[in-house]
Amino acid sequence: MTDGMNPSLLVFLYGLATALATGLGAIPFLWMRSVERRGAALANAVAAGLMLGACFGLVSEGSGYGRWQTVAGGLLGVLFILATQRILAGREPSVADVADEAGARKVLLMIVVMTVHSFAEGVAVGAAFGGGVALGGIITVAIAVHNIPEGLAISAVMRPRGASVASCALWSVVSSLPQPVMAVPAYLFVESFRPALPWALGFAAGAMFFMVFQELLPDAYEDAPRPQVGLVTSLTLVAMVLFQRSL
Amino acid sequence: MNPTLTVLIYSSVAAVTGGIGSLPLAFRSSPPTRWLGWANALAAGTMLGVAYVLSASEPGARAWELAAGSIVGVLFVHGVQRAAGTLSLDLNRLEQEEAVYGYKVLLATALHAASEGVAIGAAMLVNLPLGIFMALAIALHNIPEGLALAAVLRAQGLTLGHAASLTVAANLNQVLFAVVTFALAQAAPGLLPWALGVAVGSLVQIVMTDLFSHAYRQDGHTSVALAAVSALGMVVLLSGG
Ligand SMILES: [Zn+2]
Ligand SMILES: [Zn+2]
Repeated sequence: MTDGMNPSLLVFLYGLATALATGLGAIPFLWMRSVERRGAALANAVAAGLMLGACFGLVSEGSGYGRWQTVAGGLLGVLFILATQRILAGREPSVADVADEAGARKVLLMIVVMTVHSFAEGVAVGAAFGGGVALGGIITVAIAVHNIPEGLAISAVMRPRGASVASCALWSVVSSLPQPVMAVPAYLFVESFRPALPWALGFAAGAMFFMVFQELLPDAYEDAPRPQVGLVTSLTLVAMVLFQRSL
Repeated sequence: MNPTLTVLIYSSVAAVTGGIGSLPLAFRSSPPTRWLGWANALAAGTMLGVAYVLSASEPGARAWELAAGSIVGVLFVHGVQRAAGTLSLDLNRLEQEEAVYGYKVLLATALHAASEGVAIGAAMLVNLPLGIFMALAIALHNIPEGLALAAVLRAQGLTLGHAASLTVAANLNQVLFAVVTFALAQAAPGLLPWALGVAVGSLVQIVMTDLFSHAYRQDGHTSVALAAVSALGMVVLLSGG
């Protein structure tokens, strides 16, 4: 990797950068009490385009090492997301026991959901660095940008309940801390066990594709006009794909 | 075989499979909304996979021409959808509508088919296996798309036979666009990256405006996501032979 710096440290720092980006989602609340739904939806559309473009990059890199392994890894990524969602759905009542007030419960639940969801994204950052610094940088940027609307969503739930902007930002960052934490072991794993690389790249792509299809896109279509969402997502996607090709 | 003839044959196969999609309607003349949701999600996943395979092909192609081509593709489809009035039209309404509604839906399908034709023609020029793969992937994609279209046409009062043949007819310009793209880019190889770019951009724009937006209203987010991601994975798995 790059000269001088310990590669694991570098991966950790990139993962940390994506986590810190989540905190940026709290910034609009410095001057407003609630966000316009359409704005949040279009932010999701941009994030969806970037993530899809990044997934194209992961699949193409993974296919270079082994196509069926990449696709099989993708299947595991989808199953991982489905399994975590099922487990969380089962735990929902116990979260309610901890906090009896409905509002607090909603905040807590949201932070838990976001935290679990960050696991797969951390694996994506780490695995991508196994494919080279350029791919790692691309995936980091895509996930960092996608984290901003997630921070926005957390802040939008917390801020009306009287939380300060600083604590909105703090909790947003906390929800993404699994990213640097998971990125390092994922990176070390693919570096020391190369045959796992296409599996890991595929896992990251499968999980991210699924999240985009299941959450980001439908959320975007719900709150903004379809022509705008379509155009924003398409342009972001092709821009991301071509940006990666030109590296 | 004459290469143009190859393009003609394979793109015709892709156009004709749209008719197969109408077969389930022989059992259920008015399909449940969820069927349409799956159909749209499968069509979206295959088409996104096709766009991926095209964008990853031809590593030698100059990046800025591809980039310009794909932005042209996105904006061109957006412009045609706007001009045709299909940009925010619900393309899968199964209630009785005025005849103009049926025409608009056919028009939207013809626009899909044109973009798919450009994709087949450009892929055939990159290399023959890629072109054949592209034609077969689009043939597969046309089956669920044909189901949604035939369901709308049936609801307009057409017989199953009529609906099936109109579905094929709406896809026929695919053959024309495939052959013209192939011939043009063969004559002027500098056009190939542009054609690839236009195909990627227009396919992505159709997936995002027409296919996903309908699927989410017709079925749950999780099953749409599962159908789309499986179709996409299948295309990636089979690509590159
Ligand atoms: Zn996320
Ligand atoms: Zn189509």
